[in-house]
Amino acid sequence: MLQEKIKLINKDFSFEIKSIKDAKQLDDLRVKYFSKNGLVPSLFALLKEATSKEKPLLGKILNEFRTDLQNQFDNVNSQLNDIKNTNLNKLDLTLPGVISNIGSKHILTQTLDEIKFIFKGMGFSVHEGPELESDYNNFEALNFAQDHPARDMQDTFFVSDDFVLRTHTSPVQIRLMKKQKPPVRAIMPGRVYRNEAVSSRSYCMFHQVEGLYVDTDVTFAELKGTLASFAKQFYGDDLKFRFRPSFFPFTEPSAEMDITCFICKGDGCKICKQSGWLEILGCGMVDPNVFDNVGYDNEKYTGYAFGMGIERIAMLKFGITDIRVFFENDYRFLKQF
Amino acid sequence: MKISLNWLKEYVDIGNLPVPELISLLTMSGLEVEDYKDQNEIYKDFIVGFVKDKKKHPNADRLSLCTVYNGKEDLQVVCGAPNVDKGQKIIFAPVGSTIPKGNFVLKKAKIRGTESCGMICSEDELGLGDNHDGILVLDSSLVEGTPICDALNLNDVLIEIAITPNRPDALSHIGVARDISALLGKELKIPKVKSSKSISKLAEIEIEDKLNCPRYSAKIVKNVKINESPAWLKNKIKNIGLRPINNIVDVTNFVMHEVGQPLHAFDLNNLSKKKIIVKSTKEISTFKTLDSKDRKLPKDTLMICDGEKPIAIAGVMGGENSEINLETKDILIESAYFNPSSIRKTSKALALNTDASYRFERGTNPNITDFAAIRAAELIAEVSGGKIEEGIIDNYPNKIEPKKLTVRFTRISKLLGFGIDKEKIKNILSALELNIIKEDKDNLIVTVPTFRPDIEREVDIIEEIARINGYENIPTISKISITLDKKTDETTFTELIKSVANSLGFYEMINNPLLSKEKAMVIGDPIIVKNPQNLDMEYLRTSLIQGGLKVVSHNIKFGEKDLQLYEVGNVFNKTKKNIKSFDDFTEKSKLLFIVTGKSTKKEWNVNESGYDFYKLKGFLNSFERKIFLDNVLNDSYNAHESNFYDNYFQKNYKGKKIGEGGKLNKKILEQFDISQDVFLFEYDLEYLKDIAPDKKYYIEPLKFPKIYRDFAFIFDKEIIYNSVIEFISKNSSELSKSVRIFDLFENESLGKNKKSLAFALEYYSKDRTLTEEEVEKDFRSIIAAVTKKFDAQLRGN
Repeated sequence: MLQEKIKLINKDFSFEIKSIKDAKQLDDLRVKYFSKNGLVPSLFALLKEATSKEKPLLGKILNEFRTDLQNQFDNVNSQLNDIKNTNLNKLDLTLPGVISNIGSKHILTQTLDEIKFIFKGMGFSVHEGPELESDYNNFEALNFAQDHPARDMQDTFFVSDDFVLRTHTSPVQIRLMKKQKPPVRAIMPGRVYRNEAVSSRSYCMFHQVEGLYVDTDVTFAELKGTLASFAKQFYGDDLKFRFRPSFFPFTEPSAEMDITCFICKGDGCKICKQSGWLEILGCGMVDPNVFDNVGYDNEKYTGYAFGMGIERIAMLKFGITDIRVFFENDYRFLKQF
Repeated sequence: MKISLNWLKEYVDIGNLPVPELISLLTMSGLEVEDYKDQNEIYKDFIVGFVKDKKKHPNADRLSLCTVYNGKEDLQVVCGAPNVDKGQKIIFAPVGSTIPKGNFVLKKAKIRGTESCGMICSEDELGLGDNHDGILVLDSSLVEGTPICDALNLNDVLIEIAITPNRPDALSHIGVARDISALLGKELKIPKVKSSKSISKLAEIEIEDKLNCPRYSAKIVKNVKINESPAWLKNKIKNIGLRPINNIVDVTNFVMHEVGQPLHAFDLNNLSKKKIIVKSTKEISTFKTLDSKDRKLPKDTLMICDGEKPIAIAGVMGGENSEINLETKDILIESAYFNPSSIRKTSKALALNTDASYRFERGTNPNITDFAAIRAAELIAEVSGGKIEEGIIDNYPNKIEPKKLTVRFTRISKLLGFGIDKEKIKNILSALELNIIKEDKDNLIVTVPTFRPDIEREVDIIEEIARINGYENIPTISKISITLDKKTDETTFTELIKSVANSLGFYEMINNPLLSKEKAMVIGDPIIVKNPQNLDMEYLRTSLIQGGLKVVSHNIKFGEKDLQLYEVGNVFNKTKKNIKSFDDFTEKSKLLFIVTGKSTKKEWNVNESGYDFYKLKGFLNSFERKIFLDNVLNDSYNAHESNFYDNYFQKNYKGKKIGEGGKLNKKILEQFDISQDVFLFEYDLEYLKDIAPDKKYYIEPLKFPKIYRDFAFIFDKEIIYNSVIEFISKNSSELSKSVRIFDLFENESLGKNKKSLAFALEYYSKDRTLTEEEVEKDFRSIIAAVTKKFDAQLRGN
């Protein structure tokens, strides 16, 4: 009898609890089933009428039934509470987030980082040297004779007869080779100075990356291969390149490397002066006189060297038309990169 | 240097080679073409026109309405030139032609309401000259409709080549032709002259300074008539960008651009004692050059003198006193070889760079002076009606012989990375006049012509072979070996610094290290640049601070007032008056942090706050933690010796200053035109790098709970935080692992000149769970100690 009643009540409860929409209905349900005179306690009253033999079993069934209903009730109750809370604290998710400050490296540093990454991957070390250099390291050791017009290639700032603001990063080659026996494979980034009038296209200082590789079997063909690989990694796989003869006192043979203009793809435009080519670096085989000056055996060793201007590369890559913006450090410029 | 293709073709046959291919050939062989003008291309649309009629423009006083006959029809053209007139033959630009000046395509246009179907051109608009006062009026015999390329002989290609300093041989048409002949395998045609074996007695040449003037040749032409040059000569001179002067000067210029030998013509009758003496000055003197300028000559300047006085600065410029003039009858043509470095020194000292000095300082051919003198004399006789004096005067005491060099075939492939066919090598060398005098299976011995002073060693010959054979024919290898020795990267620490600075919100700036005197002098002992570009860049920076403040100032002007910047760069200070060695100055790498304005802007849920001294300190602490220098540096707060800072502190390591900074004084900021507070700190990067460990070691996270306690005391106001925190740290037991201030409070209610400081203490042990009792015991004993030490009063509890 009791068990039938349980069944009936269970059926009603299951039905009713499903249709609960708000706290009021839930409270009504609570009163109906769980209050002192509610349906569930009334079942416990019926237990008294059972035989002492039946009692333990029925008691157990009844307890389980009560727990089950209570759990169902609690679940619905907590669901209703969640909804209530959510509605109370409802966020306007469309409001803007709070911005954190994060800085960045100067675009020239970022460009240099990219260059370093490529050359380090090809087994190059990275070395540095001073900006205030001796005339000897900057010129003489690099095979620029005292009274040779080659010195006119680089307008020089002098701080005394013997000391200059280095006009290129090449003196770091001299320092490195004097310190270390071959093999030497390194790039040498740094700041250089030229005594030139400041304009949109030239500045009195800029940055270069020098490269040097000296060993027993270094060839021009390897120089071409290494720089072609660099250019493809840096500018893109589809570029064409060419090496043409040039002159630097510290390399022989010397070359300049051009790549197809990536603005016009070689058709000719303002940037490449209609030639379809952009000059990106100077290079060559290390001149035997330079080896003599650092005490390397110029019969045993051969080597190559190259140098490129970072500003020029960054200007081309990012479409910057005035070199001066790099050194104005306008916050609006710095934040772009 | 400008090269005329028509002129060039007199020395080498280029066959049907299209112009763009020739240009590329030159560039790819090391004679880099910077620009070229193909007249046939540029002027292809322009024709001879006839001005049939001219009327005033109905709506404009200064414009004319012309009827131009183009050989086919009459066209109405509006013209603004004052000199246009009926009956003139003119250069007519039809609609659709491209005007060289401004590079624009001419369209049919309405000018002040009247249609204009073309344009009448001036010299300037066509790039034929500088005259832009009016249109160019042509010879009346020209026929309407004739293309001007034909009518005016505009059928040349003018090529601008950048000649590298090692190639003096290429500073002439024959020089360039020689490379082309080698590249194309064509013969080089050099003009013939009559040889002059006998010696002229009309003048005498004496060389005192034989070192700086190894050879002096001269040729005399008498009874010349100074006049305008004939058209062919003027045309050549104009095409290479020179101004025709007279038939004598034009010929000397012609020969210089033909064979590369600079020449100078003297009025023979102005030469005292008919004598030329080449000598160097013994003392400083002055000399008036033919441009009527007084030049101050340093000691040891090589001069050309006559029997009594200097008449020219050798290899640089002639003197006014011996210049040829309209009355000149007899001339002496100087053709000499001067020591390149002597000419360069003079040219540098006088800041006087001429076409002659340009060639002499790079090195001319000592063995061509006689040829050039005779060539010039013959041409002068031809164009001036003069008579060539028999014989040549040639003072050449020690003949400069061609060098002999050996080239090893194996060395060529070792250097270039591939082998070149022996016959090909020999052909290239011969074409360049590197004559093979001996040959075996491994080597070639060649003589180097004296016009190639750059070829001194085997490697220089290898370059010539590579250059003419073509760099494009050197293979581009796709595999390299990587040596497995230790790699270093000296920029690693700087990179770490930069990425930490970025993560703290700082932007990197890169400043020009050259500063004005005023800015440089703010700090340290700056080094002056002897030859600055201008006074704003006269000194090297002594600190990164000046550059940083300039950037702050610039940005504030543009409305960017909230800045967080850093820079890594070198600064320079002199330690001795004169810089003769690396010991006489310092070059140090520094790191500057600089903040100003608001650190947090007002947002809908965030309050605004500004940068201040403590935020700067906080940045530095975070920065140091990330470069593994957490709690390694000690701060000190002594006053700065100058009034540079309002609030100053420095960081030290074992008593050595690692950096300094603080809040800048207003007076300093005023110098940079800044009116808001600026906080900065400059580290010495080298010291920092020295003490920063390469790596940090792992510390196992704590396994036992921490116990927290806090207390607040009322102190006398003058008791500083540092003394309290140090005392607490020193007097607590080893169980207390950290003390942190979390509140500072000043109020009258605390009593006069009192303040309240609140501290949080953390207790833990790595080995066990602490008991409340032991912590409480320690805590109580600290309270007692602080109370006693500072006469402080515990608050709250």
